[in-house]
Amino acid sequence: MYPSKFDYVRVQSVEEAVRVLGEHGEEARVLAGGHSLIPLMKLRVLRPKYLIDIGGIQGLKYIRRDKNTLRIGALTTYFELENSLEVSRTHQVIASGASVVGDPQVRNWGTIGGSLSHCDPSGDMGSCVLAARGLMHVRGPSETRTVESDNWFVDTFQSALRQGEILEEIEFQVPPGKLGGAYLKLERKSGDYAIVGVAVSLALDSSGKCSYAGIGLTSVGATNLRAKNAENAILGKIPTKEVISEASEEAFKEVTPSDDPLRGSAEYKKEMVRVYVRRGLEKALEAARSS
Amino acid sequence: MVKIVKTKVEFEGRFRDEYVMVEGEEIQAWPGSYKGKLVGSPSPRLEAGAKVNGSAKYTHDVYLPGMLYGKFVRSPYSHAKVKHVDLSKALAQPGVVAGYAANNVPKLTGEKQIELFSDEALYQGAEIALLIATDEITLQDAIELVEVEYEPLRPLVDPEESLRLRGSHAIGGKDNLSGGTPRVYERGSVERGFSDADVVIEQEFRTQAAMHNCMETHGSVATWEGDALTVYTSTQSINNVRAELAEKLGIPLRKVRAISTYMGGGFGSKFGGGKYTLAAALASRALGKPVRIVLDRIEENLVTGNRSQTIQKYRIGAKKDGTLTAIQLTSVVNVGLEGWTADIGGPTKMTYRCPNVKVELYGTRTNLVSSTAFRAPGYVEGNFGLECALDELASKLGLDPISLRLKNYADEDQGDKIAYSSKALKEAYERGADIIGWKPGEEPTRRGTKVRAKGMASLIWWGGGGPPAYAQVKINTDGSATVVTASQDIGTGTRTAVGQIAAEELSLPLELVSVQIGDTVTELYSPGSGGSQTLASIGPAVRSAAHDAKSQLLDIASQTLDVAREAIALDSGWIVRKSGEKLSSVADLLDKFGGATVTGKGARGPNDPKHQVNTFGAQFAEVEVDTETGEVEVLKFVSVHDSGRIINPLLLSSQIEGGVIQGMGYALWEGRLVDATSGVSLNANLNDYLVPRSTDIDEIQSEYIEAEDTSNNIGAKGIGEPPIIGVAPAIANAIKAATGIRLRELPLTPERIYRALKKMEDWTSSARYF
Ligand SMILES: Cc1cc2nc3c(=O)[nH]c(=O)nc-3n(C[C@H](O)[C@H](O)[C@H](O)COP(=O)(O)OP(=O)(O)OC[C@H]3O[C@@H](n4cnc5c(N)ncnc54)[C@H](O)[C@@H]3O)c2cc1C
Repeated sequence: MYPSKFDYVRVQSVEEAVRVLGEHGEEARVLAGGHSLIPLMKLRVLRPKYLIDIGGIQGLKYIRRDKNTLRIGALTTYFELENSLEVSRTHQVIASGASVVGDPQVRNWGTIGGSLSHCDPSGDMGSCVLAARGLMHVRGPSETRTVESDNWFVDTFQSALRQGEILEEIEFQVPPGKLGGAYLKLERKSGDYAIVGVAVSLALDSSGKCSYAGIGLTSVGATNLRAKNAENAILGKIPTKEVISEASEEAFKEVTPSDDPLRGSAEYKKEMVRVYVRRGLEKALEAARSS
Repeated sequence: MVKIVKTKVEFEGRFRDEYVMVEGEEIQAWPGSYKGKLVGSPSPRLEAGAKVNGSAKYTHDVYLPGMLYGKFVRSPYSHAKVKHVDLSKALAQPGVVAGYAANNVPKLTGEKQIELFSDEALYQGAEIALLIATDEITLQDAIELVEVEYEPLRPLVDPEESLRLRGSHAIGGKDNLSGGTPRVYERGSVERGFSDADVVIEQEFRTQAAMHNCMETHGSVATWEGDALTVYTSTQSINNVRAELAEKLGIPLRKVRAISTYMGGGFGSKFGGGKYTLAAALASRALGKPVRIVLDRIEENLVTGNRSQTIQKYRIGAKKDGTLTAIQLTSVVNVGLEGWTADIGGPTKMTYRCPNVKVELYGTRTNLVSSTAFRAPGYVEGNFGLECALDELASKLGLDPISLRLKNYADEDQGDKIAYSSKALKEAYERGADIIGWKPGEEPTRRGTKVRAKGMASLIWWGGGGPPAYAQVKINTDGSATVVTASQDIGTGTRTAVGQIAAEELSLPLELVSVQIGDTVTELYSPGSGGSQTLASIGPAVRSAAHDAKSQLLDIASQTLDVAREAIALDSGWIVRKSGEKLSSVADLLDKFGGATVTGKGARGPNDPKHQVNTFGAQFAEVEVDTETGEVEVLKFVSVHDSGRIINPLLLSSQIEGGVIQGMGYALWEGRLVDATSGVSLNANLNDYLVPRSTDIDEIQSEYIEAEDTSNNIGAKGIGEPPIIGVAPAIANAIKAATGIRLRELPLTPERIYRALKKMEDWTSSARYF
């Protein structure tokens, strides 16, 4: 299986990338880890005329902390996220999510920026970024802008990126309190995309009440989604068994997945959201309590 | 003196008569007590280094100077009339060398017209046209420029529907019931058996179509020198490919050479040349350049065949004590366009002692690719039904599953009432039960939402091998030896095993034995590698050839060194007195004759008409089911086999592990999903078709009981197919033991298990396992 013919440029800076992207317009695509783009090109679902390889831009590969802010460069790979103590210290959900994407080969190549730009509702990273309320820093030909995670996931395979823009960085704030996070994924088989995935990020205040709750869901809608009612069901409360069970019930009620002939019925997915939100909350809570 | 013997030869349960040419002295089988120096040792594969460092050349690695690439235009519809094919735009592309469609297939000899394309596509992926280009990207671009006008027609993919519409909607104008009648087997009288029974159970099971997914896809590279054709091809039978090409192209056998030096897996779909090989040969001839046609993964999963989908209805009668009085199986088998109806009834007829058995198989044609043999065809499907039904019977009678099986232990072949050449199934039950920690009546253990329990299943298969199979063993001038045979090593380790056999017979270290295999140029016929028959067929021929070479060498030594023939032997490359004293190295001896070599000839002897050869096994699974989600994990799998003498336990355990893993894929994940309306496959690539990965597999323990078997001179029976046969029922029986839920349809997906646990209706989606 071979893609249709294309030209290839390897750029050295984001500025150059944006410029070349501007020159070629809609015929061009940015290439990061290539683990979504290349398969689609081989299947000839996508036929870009130009590939702009940003893989060599050193300045986009970093994990940095400025006080209460965690900054992750768009080219950071899943492997790097999964193994970064800096990430798991405050944003366990990101590390946990990165560790179950595909298989080791995919995790060595695939990037957080690529995943978010690709905007596949069955991508794992999107839910984690929603749960952690990431801010996407984007550079276009004339301006840079920041998009909140709630506004990022526009539609299936459609992020808030506009023509000619490049995602540079994902920024996360560290909420106060004791922190815990987890990503749980129900798969048909190891290395597969999720039947259902649940990202949970929690903070507990000194009284043991939940002071921050983020819940992101994979493969149950047109995009990665936030289970807002479930978050509200736990926020401000001591997360007892009952509270957790209420929250998972809320998540169950607020999702409307559709049937997927390969990965399961809407009915099953919905049921699994309930089970997985409960398990995800329990796991995140355990992490927060022991942090 | 050449002797001609008539003998019965079995292949995957089908028998035929063969005349065999037996040359040289007949040698006795090694007795059960014989402990070889090399035979029985876990020698690593001779080609292990070459495979690891990449120097082993597979068909996919063959790139010849000036080679062209070919690819088929295939029907996207599972049923359509092909109204018009226009290649002109494709042919206008630079780099596109030729294009063929129904009206211009090159002819090789005079009148003979070869059917590569048809004007009605009867399954998705059917060949419509062929393009040849200088590189694969140009080729794929050009494929998109071929304009085909289709008139889509209604496909039938559901076999039950196809049977119902048999009268009004005949697929391709032929009866939808393959062969026009069901295939019926009967012994005794099931009516009498059921009336004698204390209990009668009725059970229905369904199994899915499974795809082979050999790592190396089907493919060939063809090249001509004058009027002689050479094909490099990924095949289980170089001799079949050779014969097929000679026949179809209308050229003599001597003008065709088939080569498969290294081969990336074959499970039953690679016994012939197929259209890709024929087309490569025709195009190469027409264009005067080598032509390569290698299928991509999606083509591989659309057009190379599959294990059949089945619907199986069992009725089983038994006495209170478990004695079987009757088994009846009626099964619909989805054979695709014109596949073969594999013997779903094999396990029913053969596994247990039962006087009254009836099997009716309705091979049913559909608008899907023709099914093909797939590792233990029929038996894998049938054993799932039978072994699950048997567990249901055990639970109804309050018997332990193993006790029920022992109660009905077959001491002789149930069809022909002849003795087995060997059978150590009882010992296999014992060993397996011991390793997995089987306790009759054991309760499942619970931990949170998870429950654990064990299940088991028996298996029976063929694998006795037989003639014709020929080999030569050459003793080279330097004292080393070369085994020569036109067999093939499809990844099972044939090369190494025959090397060990020759080394054993010649008393040579394995490093001094090389093996020439996978090339018909040697003219030493050997059967295809299927039916678990390779080693039991070619191994004895190699031993005979080595024996012959040894005799000749000793004759030469006796005369040259002036010692009595009876007083000398071969030992590690030396002619020695039987007392041990070294007389001459083999190299020195042959050097006296100007660097002579000695060639021993061997043939596989006839099979013993008084015995039937079968392989047996007992398989055990311990599973954990998450009752909240339906997820299953097979924590431990124990597979115990009776495959006669084990030539190489390392190769054996590789076969067992591979078979068990493939069986787990079948049980839990794999299955062709087809859109029920359009008949189009929804999971033809490996992103969607779920072949197991190492991370899906926990512990597998391979074990064997080495039963003495003298039905051939090496005492070996097959192992290629048996390990896959009992995996699905062992897992399903363990799930039943854990949850009380009897699952009746493969694959056992989490959603199916979840729904069964929650007593929810099955989900009927537009996509179904056909
Ligand atoms: C076998 C396999 C299994 C997989 N399993 C999973 C899984 O279980 N879970 C999961 O979430 N994913 C899975 N993936 C997808 C994987 O995570 C991809 O790596 C990821 O979706 C895309 O990241 P990438 O860096 O490879 O992006 P690419 O493939 O290079 O690009 C993807 C898209 O994003 C655009 N793009 C990339 N980077 C930027 C940027 N910085 N700015 C603007 N646009 C950009 C590209 O133009 C392209 O359109 C799997 C992939 C494979 C091949």
